[in-house]
Amino acid sequence: MGKKELKVAFLLALRSLQRGSRSSVILTILIIGMCFTNMIFLPSMFNGIGQSITKQVVDYEVGNVLVSPKSGDKYVADIHATLDLINGMPGVERATPHFSKGATLKYRQRVLGVTVRAISPNDEKSISPLYTKMVAGSYLGEADTGEVIIGRPVAGDSSIRQEDEFQASLGGVRVGDSINIDYGNGYVKDYRVKGIYFTGWSQADSAVYVTSTDMALVDPKALDNADYITVKAKPGYSEKFIKDELLAYGVGGTGKVQTTADLLSKSMGRALQSFAIINMVSLVVSIIITTVVLFIVITIKTISSRKQIGILKAIGVDKEVIMHNYGFQVIILGILGIILGIFLTLVLAAYMAYHPIVTPEWSATLYITPMDLLMNSVILFIAAIVAGYVPAYQISREDIQTAMRT
Amino acid sequence: MIIIEDLKKIYRMGDVEVNALDGVTLDIAKGEFLGIMGASGSGKTTLLHMLGLLDEPTSGKITIDGIDVGRLNDYEKTQFRLYKLGYVFQDYALVPDLTVMENVSLPAMLRLDRTEQQTQAGSFEVLQKIGLCDRRDHLPRELSGGQQQRVSIARAMVNKPDILFADEPCANLDSENSRLVLELFKEINEEFHQTIVMVSHEDWHKDYFHRIIRLKDGKIVSDGTNGKSPH
Repeated sequence: MGKKELKVAFLLALRSLQRGSRSSVILTILIIGMCFTNMIFLPSMFNGIGQSITKQVVDYEVGNVLVSPKSGDKYVADIHATLDLINGMPGVERATPHFSKGATLKYRQRVLGVTVRAISPNDEKSISPLYTKMVAGSYLGEADTGEVIIGRPVAGDSSIRQEDEFQASLGGVRVGDSINIDYGNGYVKDYRVKGIYFTGWSQADSAVYVTSTDMALVDPKALDNADYITVKAKPGYSEKFIKDELLAYGVGGTGKVQTTADLLSKSMGRALQSFAIINMVSLVVSIIITTVVLFIVITIKTISSRKQIGILKAIGVDKEVIMHNYGFQVIILGILGIILGIFLTLVLAAYMAYHPIVTPEWSATLYITPMDLLMNSVILFIAAIVAGYVPAYQISREDIQTAMRT
Repeated sequence: MIIIEDLKKIYRMGDVEVNALDGVTLDIAKGEFLGIMGASGSGKTTLLHMLGLLDEPTSGKITIDGIDVGRLNDYEKTQFRLYKLGYVFQDYALVPDLTVMENVSLPAMLRLDRTEQQTQAGSFEVLQKIGLCDRRDHLPRELSGGQQQRVSIARAMVNKPDILFADEPCANLDSENSRLVLELFKEINEEFHQTIVMVSHEDWHKDYFHRIIRLKDGKIVSDGTNGKSPH
């Protein structure tokens, strides 16, 4: 197959698409574009959900690396020495202890069970964007006592009747109000609400934050113990690197060291497996639809052009030229369909970035990498070529008499 | 130029065998304008298809320019058709999505011994010859039947083939356009000394042929000159 033959095959293909049935061309491109979008949409959304959950978990729960109590222990002990050690390691942005206690909140006639989380407000700023999520009032100061910040769902809305509430709340607490916290260990105290925040991560939004200084008054163990230590990595340092470093420095002797990925693979393993199965089904269905559609389109084209194919062969056009003519048509349709698919996907991604599907646990946007686009394009392109070349090969092998008699 | 020896073609339709050609033996000289005539079903088109390498005989031998074409493989036959033969069909058989210029250029574009400029110049030249230069950017559907047949002739001519086959080229044309087409064949034959083999069933066409063979039931029943000789 020489350059001239390929040129003629390309000319025939181009002219057929330019001057043939326009509606058929547009419909085929549209179908390929839709199939591409379908191939990439679900996996991207699942990836987006995964990314969203991971980000929330990192931001509001465990950081990049979590140091939790060793098996059999209730707390991570000797936290000051451990924090000094971790904060001095290269690659560590900041490490901060978390200490939580279950408590009952009382506000006017409302009673609500919550988790009270004790944090070091300044250190927490390096770990979590919580301080940027204040919707009313202000964030905790390092030396604050008798003050709390509470999640918006906990604060509630005074305009909604208690029986109509989706989630139990204090019924409309405002900044400056006083709420009563009963820790269940005999320690009961009134706190002033310093701020109200909303993160979009339900566990964080259902909690109440106090300073570690305040918590030490509730439970003296909080002075040198923590439920866990969260470690934030500096940009460019992987979770694995930090974990290995912590273990190398002997932090493993103080607590159990796990990356976020370690934790999520355990807690979300089954969900991720289900996502992978759904993604695979979606991918296979899209490929089958594209392949079948293109196969039908090219088969119809070749059958309706059998006489013309016979004529072309009669005037000296080689069967390879005829086959590549239809092959090029499929390649052009495939490329245009994929371009349309990428465009539709990016439009959807942009739309969902501004209008994500929000749930109390996650917000779904489309998480698409250039590699996703490339891989799906290649898969669809190969499927298109196979679908186009099979009927083209068959028809080009037909003898002239049979073709011309049609 | 063309030597046909005991050519037979048998079509099998179920248990029935039809002798489309029944031992045709014939020599066609270079530059001859040969008319193949006969009633419908006499085997005219079958013979033309055998000569044009569009079909294979059941037995017999065709030699063109010393080459036993029965021995050529599929690719060699395609190349032979491209370089040596031209074909004009009854129903014009133009590619509907190509312009007049592109239709005419198509066979020339595939020739390895021609540059793009030569292809363009050659195509332009034959379009001038058939008087359709001003319609070169039109699509076949924008032309009359007579014009389309002239384009079909131009396409067959563009590679300057040694032999031109025409299968009832005037069958779909009125007498005026038929005469134009036949005059064109005559000019081509006289000017370029190309061998032309044309199938026809119109009796008045015989005036244009040097020689006429008549077929009946797949056999040559008459072979005679028309008082004219090849150039």
